[in-house]
Amino acid sequence: MAEIRDIKFGRSNERPREATPRRLAAIVAADISGYSRLMELDEEGTHARVKRIERDLIEPSIAEHHGRLVKTTGDGFIAIFDSPVEAVRFGIVIQQNMIGRNALLPKHHRIEFRIGVNLGDVIIEADDIYGDGVNIASRLEGIANPGQVYISSGIYEQVKNKLVCGYESLGDRKVKNITEPVRVYRVLADPTAFHEHRKRRENILIFLLSLTLLVIASGALWYVLQQPNGKLGKQASAPALPPVEIPNVPSSPAPAVKQPAPLPPPSSAPVPPTPQAAPQTQAAPSVTPAVKHATPQPQSASSATPATQPVSAAREPEMNPIRGGSFIMGSNDDVTEKPTHQVTIKPFAIGKYPTTVHEWNECAAAKACGFVATGKDDAPVTNVSWSDAKQFVAWLAGATRKAYRLPSEAEWEYAARGGTQSKYWWGDQFEPGIANCKNCTDIATTEQPVKVGSFKPNPFGLYEMGGGVDQWVEDCWHKNYQGAPADGSPWVEGECPAHVIRSGSWKNDARYVRPSNRDNYDTNVRYPTHGFRVALSP
Amino acid sequence: MRIAQLIVLSAALASVPSAAHAQGKPAPKDALLYFVWPQDGATIKGGFWCRFGLRNMGVTHAGDDFQNSGHHHLLVDVNEPLDPNEAIPQDKNHLHFGAGQTEARIELPLGKHTLQLVLGDAKHYPFNPPLVSEKITIRIK
Repeated sequence: MAEIRDIKFGRSNERPREATPRRLAAIVAADISGYSRLMELDEEGTHARVKRIERDLIEPSIAEHHGRLVKTTGDGFIAIFDSPVEAVRFGIVIQQNMIGRNALLPKHHRIEFRIGVNLGDVIIEADDIYGDGVNIASRLEGIANPGQVYISSGIYEQVKNKLVCGYESLGDRKVKNITEPVRVYRVLADPTAFHEHRKRRENILIFLLSLTLLVIASGALWYVLQQPNGKLGKQASAPALPPVEIPNVPSSPAPAVKQPAPLPPPSSAPVPPTPQAAPQTQAAPSVTPAVKHATPQPQSASSATPATQPVSAAREPEMNPIRGGSFIMGSNDDVTEKPTHQVTIKPFAIGKYPTTVHEWNECAAAKACGFVATGKDDAPVTNVSWSDAKQFVAWLAGATRKAYRLPSEAEWEYAARGGTQSKYWWGDQFEPGIANCKNCTDIATTEQPVKVGSFKPNPFGLYEMGGGVDQWVEDCWHKNYQGAPADGSPWVEGECPAHVIRSGSWKNDARYVRPSNRDNYDTNVRYPTHGFRVALSP
Repeated sequence: MRIAQLIVLSAALASVPSAAHAQGKPAPKDALLYFVWPQDGATIKGGFWCRFGLRNMGVTHAGDDFQNSGHHHLLVDVNEPLDPNEAIPQDKNHLHFGAGQTEARIELPLGKHTLQLVLGDAKHYPFNPPLVSEKITIRIK
């Protein structure tokens, strides 16, 4: 006892440090996210609520888990525990209690803690603790999301087999003023959240199932109605899959609904690798593109990187190389397309088709794209924002180690014109049936979007450059070409609220399929007719 | 002809469940969508800031599915009626403000134009019944 007193006095007398009591402890650092915002909203109220939480929740919980409250700061506290298990349990208890307390409050009034837990050797003094371990705990707290508990690997090793909850590894994180990176884990404490997630998924599945049934039923009903009266009895039992479903679709193999998804047969794996990006092997429009994609990727086979790199998953889209050249960009048909100006394009490659649902979902499966797209595998992916499209190309570029990107607006128009300067790529007069636009085809709206490659390719062998789905390009929106670059590069500046879309969609009329037509949309907003195609730098 | 009718019928049948699911959110009865500026009959020189007013509902980002909220759409010179079972079209006459904008710089060619606001839900569908503003006519000189 006397010794300890001495040490306390020692601090003021600047006596040697070796006498300070050190011990191993689980350190919990917590703070309230957005504390200053809350104080700004309602200073007294927030203060009173925080104090009440400390008194009613935090202090009793610390005691219950055999810990000690070291200090409270304005917007948080630090506590130490003898046992890592108790420390993590305490963190979970606090977070779950706070969910209950916040449930009835409006979003901006909620008090949410961020909690970090670390195991470390600390120096204990009467009213504070010191050491690296404390700093790391508060750094963990700093990177934690509101409402979550982040733990270091030291804690994780101690609790992983003792506490039944999920742990998500967030990898090694560099934290401020600490030389060694810290391995961080997120505690997934709440089993109810997991259940909720599953329930929602079940609901969606049930909904989709019933939708499919209804579509089939109405299809069957229609089929029955369509039979001439006499034949009805005889034919009713025939499978209702009429190839006549879409009469008069010019040049396209009836995009009948119930086509089996053209997934690559698993047996195709040992096929010798064919050169990727097989250019210009002109597929007849009737061949589904996804099947062509099924050739295994040589890169994944040869560069046999160990399992740490999930490179093998990415299948490359079919790309058409485009020779460079000059052209006149823009037109006098619309104010946004003026002034016409000469642009020189360097050689590049562009996707033969818009990116498909199948291709998108590989990115989603790799958790690199934000959502799982619904629809037929060989249909173009839709309802993507510009930011979504950027995520996809970033993933594709990383997975293939090639310079995949979005095309620039100039590249898109150059490719869409296919070497022509006319109003449409096929001439100055509109012709029905060439492009997928509103009132240009006989396709029922319920069939849309139809699979890629359903319409005639342009002179560069590119499908659906105009009509089908709107296509994002890299450029920020500018209301005309005043000041546009002439070297084919994307016209960008910093953060732009809106980006350019090209091509027009199946819901737009014939004016929109012109290769010079341009429009814009908010960068981060999804819309059901918006898709994209990828480009590749040589 | 008959086939076309049947296609329409089957399409309608097939779209019933999905449409019923995707749209039809009711707006509060006292919600009001209106132009703060310009006013009906205004004559304007050049471009102008069009300001959207919404009472008793909130403006949010498209894709955010909160109760009693939506995002603005400005219809310029649109005469076709809205289809309540379809997303509000996106073209040069149907301007979208999905980032939650409540005003926009508008530049129109000289002459008379009509403007109308429509509130869209998270998926760009109109509410049921559609929440629209009065259709105003302005002249650009």
